[in-house]
Amino acid sequence: MSHILLAALTLLAPAPAARAAPPARPAAPVAVVTGGDLHVGDGTVVKNATVLIRDGKFAGVGGPELAASAPADAVRVDATGKVVTPGLIACDNQLGLVEIDLEGSTHDDARSGDHPIRAAYDASRAFHAESSLIQVQAIGGVTTAAVAPAGGLLSGQVAWVDLVHGDHRGALARAGVAIDGNLGHSFAGSRAAALAKLQEVLTDAQVFRGRKDAYERAQTRPFAAHALDLQALQPALAGQVPLTLTADRASDILAALDLAKEYKLRLVVVGGSEAWKVAPELAAAKVPVIVQPSRNLPSSFDTLGARLDNAALLAAAGVPVVIAWLDDSHNLRNITQEAGIAVANGLPWATALRAITLEPALAYGQSATHGSVAVGKVANLVVWSGDPLELSSRPTHVFVRGRAIPMVSRQTLLRDRYRSLDKFGAGGPTKSTDARPRPDTGAPATTAAPRKSDAPARLAV
Amino acid sequence: MSSRRPRSPAISGFVLFLACNRGAPPQPPSDVAAPAPDVAGRTAAPAVVSDGPPRLFRNARIMTAAGDIFERADLLVVGGRISAVGPGLTAPDGAVVVDAAGKTITPGIIDTHSHIGVYAAPGLNGHSDGNEASAPNTAYARAEDGYWPQDPQIDRARAGGVTTAQILPGSANLIGGRSVTVRFLPDARSVGDVKFPGAPYGLKMACGENPKRVYGDKAGPKTRMGNIAGFRDAFQKAKEYERTWSKYHKDHADWEKNKDKPGSASRPSGPAGAGKDGQPGKPPDEPQPPARDFGLETLGLVLKGEILVHNHCYRADEMSQMLDLAATYGFKIRSFHHAVEAYKIADRLAAADTAASIWADWWGFKAEAFDGILENAALLHAAGGRSIIHSDSPTGIQRLNHEAAKAMHAGRRIGIDISDNDALRWLTANPAWALGIDHEVGTLTPGKRADLVVWSGDPFSVYTRAEQVYIDGEPVFVRGSHEPGTDFELGYNPGAAPPAPVQPVPSNLSAAH
Repeated sequence: MSHILLAALTLLAPAPAARAAPPARPAAPVAVVTGGDLHVGDGTVVKNATVLIRDGKFAGVGGPELAASAPADAVRVDATGKVVTPGLIACDNQLGLVEIDLEGSTHDDARSGDHPIRAAYDASRAFHAESSLIQVQAIGGVTTAAVAPAGGLLSGQVAWVDLVHGDHRGALARAGVAIDGNLGHSFAGSRAAALAKLQEVLTDAQVFRGRKDAYERAQTRPFAAHALDLQALQPALAGQVPLTLTADRASDILAALDLAKEYKLRLVVVGGSEAWKVAPELAAAKVPVIVQPSRNLPSSFDTLGARLDNAALLAAAGVPVVIAWLDDSHNLRNITQEAGIAVANGLPWATALRAITLEPALAYGQSATHGSVAVGKVANLVVWSGDPLELSSRPTHVFVRGRAIPMVSRQTLLRDRYRSLDKFGAGGPTKSTDARPRPDTGAPATTAAPRKSDAPARLAV
Repeated sequence: MSSRRPRSPAISGFVLFLACNRGAPPQPPSDVAAPAPDVAGRTAAPAVVSDGPPRLFRNARIMTAAGDIFERADLLVVGGRISAVGPGLTAPDGAVVVDAAGKTITPGIIDTHSHIGVYAAPGLNGHSDGNEASAPNTAYARAEDGYWPQDPQIDRARAGGVTTAQILPGSANLIGGRSVTVRFLPDARSVGDVKFPGAPYGLKMACGENPKRVYGDKAGPKTRMGNIAGFRDAFQKAKEYERTWSKYHKDHADWEKNKDKPGSASRPSGPAGAGKDGQPGKPPDEPQPPARDFGLETLGLVLKGEILVHNHCYRADEMSQMLDLAATYGFKIRSFHHAVEAYKIADRLAAADTAASIWADWWGFKAEAFDGILENAALLHAAGGRSIIHSDSPTGIQRLNHEAAKAMHAGRRIGIDISDNDALRWLTANPAWALGIDHEVGTLTPGKRADLVVWSGDPFSVYTRAEQVYIDGEPVFVRGSHEPGTDFELGYNPGAAPPAPVQPVPSNLSAAH
């Protein structure tokens, strides 16, 4: 019935991957960061580096001589004795889609309903640039997020977002950079059913691509998903964007590899608790794995092989490793700690830093603009007080799209409001004059503390 | 601050769970006429808690959590207890010498908030034993009765340097029941093998959203009003239950005194005190005890201070109200748990001597957790309060040292003076106090049990791992050579790869903290 209408809508909608970033805000001032040790993101290190930022992009990377080319009114940051890295990239989260996990009214991370195929669900349409979570992550050094829908077998399209707090028009860097989905028991209570459904939908999407006219004339067989979803899958089928599939059990990862081969998909494995067991196959297929290194628990029968050196074993086998925080989106800033945990368990330090900078950009096909400090790329940059993976370190300056962001979040504002409690008067457990009943008799207590002010009484109407 | 709680005369004379290395489980009190309350208590701790050899740890950096940090010193263990800490100790005959040069030794980490064993991995329906969510007040329930000592999470926690943890019922209920303090000893076959000798019980209470959510569609509570009403009702009934028993004990004592004096005018109340015809002769009947109620008995022991209250509570306003409620009924809240807004009432918590068991950085997963800040522990510490870093997580429990480091550095960044010793106490001495076991563990002080961790380096570095863990001076984890595993995991992961070798961290990274 509504297939024809849907098809018409489909033809009007631009291909997600083709949607470019909207125009930038008024040009940021030129900025120059000098004196720090620059970890470029690709493994190279530039001592006493100068980074020149203009029009929101990296305009130069070099030695002290570069600083002289900056205009007199440039923003200057002395990073002497500090560590400079690309802005960190947080993968596969619901930043800007969920404000409070247990409050459904704050959720925009999934299309409701039972249909498992939601490829047309576009996270960029729901992203909220004023979310309080954004600045909490940004002042922790995270400048970019791959924001993914959740739920279902195919959850929808991933948005690539720069953490420009409050910029509704500008935060989105690129929509539809990946199609996100889930293996395992994500459909009909059976991994076999999930795989069969995926094959059905992908085959339908292939058929749909060649038969759109027939579809509009209602001359095709019924498809397993809506036309919008089938259309949304085309960039993935064309190899333009990856399919990011959550899979932990080794057998599920192998099934994902088979699926990718069958449909010529670019695959990224998310979770990958048991990926180390199939590392040679992942390496041969050049499939990146997004892991959270602290996950070492046999929390389910799908993760009995989870171990702390998963990232190290994968990297040693030649698998591209991405490190992410895959729990709730409030602490994406902890990807530095996660990277440190991976190092403590065998991952080389440079590989760990790469796993939160360049590797995520490569996995999502965004390395032309993100992931390393290179001329022409988006100027997302962090100046750290020390080793960025160490618990003692913190960002001192964060640039997003070439602007130094204020190092303020809702959390720092709360902290500053309560840093001194003097304004609240004397401490102590009780300020109330409520006639609290005594437990035994119900008679009013006689030892109540004096009331500081009678304002509460007037309000209590 | 770590004063011993005075032993209450109320528990003297009862047969208590004796302090011993691997004690048998306490005998449940039988349903006798005048039962001993079901409570573990302090007994004279035995001087020898292990028959292992003396052990001398040499040339370590030693962080005692009692104030001293030795850059290079030795630590001697005799009979399972710490015998001496300092430079140049002599190994007694037969001592095992452990070369700990380049390593750091701390007390074993103590977690005040874990559900390991009651919410075991894998997370199966069959393993869900943490929430007796059948009524909002299940004070009668005990975590120890749900504890599965084969939970694979125990091994991971131990490998993270945790030697002791309080296992709590979940937070579905206003009053979830009794906690149990366990030691993460390997090779346990029942909870009785791992209960911390002499540790008092805790009582799990929960404010806020969870009871509302669980019972809102049932018989309630549906609101925070209902929550507080539920607490008041419970403790009021406990008071009345106590009165009933006090009266019985008095009557019984009177009866004991007078039963051999058939003509006495002083007789217990009750019709049996005298013959029907008012003439002396027939001895009075023995007063019979009231019906025993294990939930009210538990709450009564809270009112007596014999069971320590551990109160899941996030918001500052709600914690304040709970302090008021506790004052009304005359009990203390030993520690709030989660307490993401402790910094808003740090002065009140300090004044009440109520600890806050908190995370370093968790926030926002629910409305009552929305105001979490990184400086929570630091601000409470600065106000003179007792900060504790807890996990409530089988993942987080493996890295409580990381969490303390994050909280410590967040505080230092805003100018709060927090020493490494202070932050270590958030993991050791303060939780020991909260659990009522600070006379036995929590610092590396001569006389205490030798529960300790040998770290590969600074325990506040992300790159540091626990290399050896000891309980009562005996190794329970030695990385690479003694890594105990549970029954459950046997036979899985055939042909697993050996551990990845650790690579050196570049030494030229700036570290301007």
